[in-house]
Amino acid sequence: MAIGISGYGVYIPRLRIKKDEYAKAWGSFAAPGVDEKSVMGFDEDVLTFASKVSKRALESVPLPPDKVSRFALASTSAPYVEKLLSGTILVSVGVPNSAFTSDHTTSTRAGTEAMLAGFEHVSANQGGSALVVAADAPSASMWSTMEHALGAGAAGFVLSSDNLIAELEGSASYASEYCGERFQPREDSLLHDLNVKKFTEGSLMTNTTKAGGALLKKLGRKPEEYQHVVIQQPDARVPASVAARMGFTDAQLASGLVAKYLGDLGSASTPIGLVSVLESAKAGDTIMVISYGSGAGSDALSFKVVGDRKATVGLKDQADRKEYIDYVKYLKLKGAIV
Amino acid sequence: MAHVSVPLYWRTLPQRYRLVGQKCKKCGSVNFPPKGVCRYCSASSEFEEVQLSGRGKVHTFVLISAGGAPPEFAEQEKAGGQYPVAIVQLEEGPKVIGQIADVDPKEVKIDMPVTTELRKIYTEEDVIRYGFKFVPATEGR
Repeated sequence: MAIGISGYGVYIPRLRIKKDEYAKAWGSFAAPGVDEKSVMGFDEDVLTFASKVSKRALESVPLPPDKVSRFALASTSAPYVEKLLSGTILVSVGVPNSAFTSDHTTSTRAGTEAMLAGFEHVSANQGGSALVVAADAPSASMWSTMEHALGAGAAGFVLSSDNLIAELEGSASYASEYCGERFQPREDSLLHDLNVKKFTEGSLMTNTTKAGGALLKKLGRKPEEYQHVVIQQPDARVPASVAARMGFTDAQLASGLVAKYLGDLGSASTPIGLVSVLESAKAGDTIMVISYGSGAGSDALSFKVVGDRKATVGLKDQADRKEYIDYVKYLKLKGAIV
Repeated sequence: MAHVSVPLYWRTLPQRYRLVGQKCKKCGSVNFPPKGVCRYCSASSEFEEVQLSGRGKVHTFVLISAGGAPPEFAEQEKAGGQYPVAIVQLEEGPKVIGQIADVDPKEVKIDMPVTTELRKIYTEEDVIRYGFKFVPATEGR
């Protein structure tokens, strides 16, 4: 039984800040390749993002919310450390209380974790439909250079065996132990990073290439057989170095490179990159997605595009709809002035 | 601050999160927010639940500026600036009050089509109170 993506939705908040604002405030901007990034509004959080993309994903199929049997939510910036997060989405969207829900929250790999959880459900339950959402707006101290890249956005997918846009061809994962890079101690709501660049790059390179390499081997594919590759985007340059190591090219990365205009989208990075690809992909195209989360781990997923039905609200519409803010307004919205 | 206890708030979640209204079994009018007795015929307290579309038009509105916000919205005004509050006539008939989010306040007009989405309204007792706000109903949002 073929399973895959039956619909998708995406949401990017309207506010943007340009890298020039950082240059003016701090004298430099530390997110390579990022020209501007999205900023969450005052009355939003990742749950309001998730509610919005859930509805959009369901409408794009279309699938009534009461047909959802599995809901998974991914975010590294949830408003509560303890409390079921899915409940807010179930009630606001109208997903049945009997749906099995899970919240994936401890690394930027969470987006693909949620997708794989959804795929496990639809492969084990014939006729089941999973709604999976990644919504993120990570925060770090304004004194930390890791803060510069952090953006905001969300993507949601309906996964099933019916009405497919893209079929799942396979997946592979790799997890390992790394510490000191992008972590959040329980007593602090902001991200920390010991800023050991080489160590971070080593972890990212190891986990992504191991997961991606294992999937290529499993499917008997070569990198050049893919039209599109989406790799975790902590900035807009990292994907190119992973791609180069694996034998992918910049041309294969182009359709899914969203960090350039949205910044680091955390656990929503590869999901939003995948939406970007689905909007330009043609039937027959193949897509490789490789996520990364510090700590550390990666998931690789391979898709074949089987239909070119597009969502009514596209990423391009969302990306074009914007209002620029200055750095002082950014500080206020981020709650950095106390 | 207008205190709303968590249990009281919780009882009204379906209307706040998803605009669940009620249709009067006697006169057929749609009540929102839900009432004990139908506000249109005043002759029935029997209803069936209906899911409202969330779509409507701005009936009238006001812009809340510095000093004008109630305490629970003061921080929002300080961080985000002026915000619109509107009375919106929903497709199903009822007129409801709510903020218009995600809009340049200068662009709000009477009769402007709007739709609803989940937003943070305010936080009290460290509990985030979510609820609907209106947003412009433009294509491609």
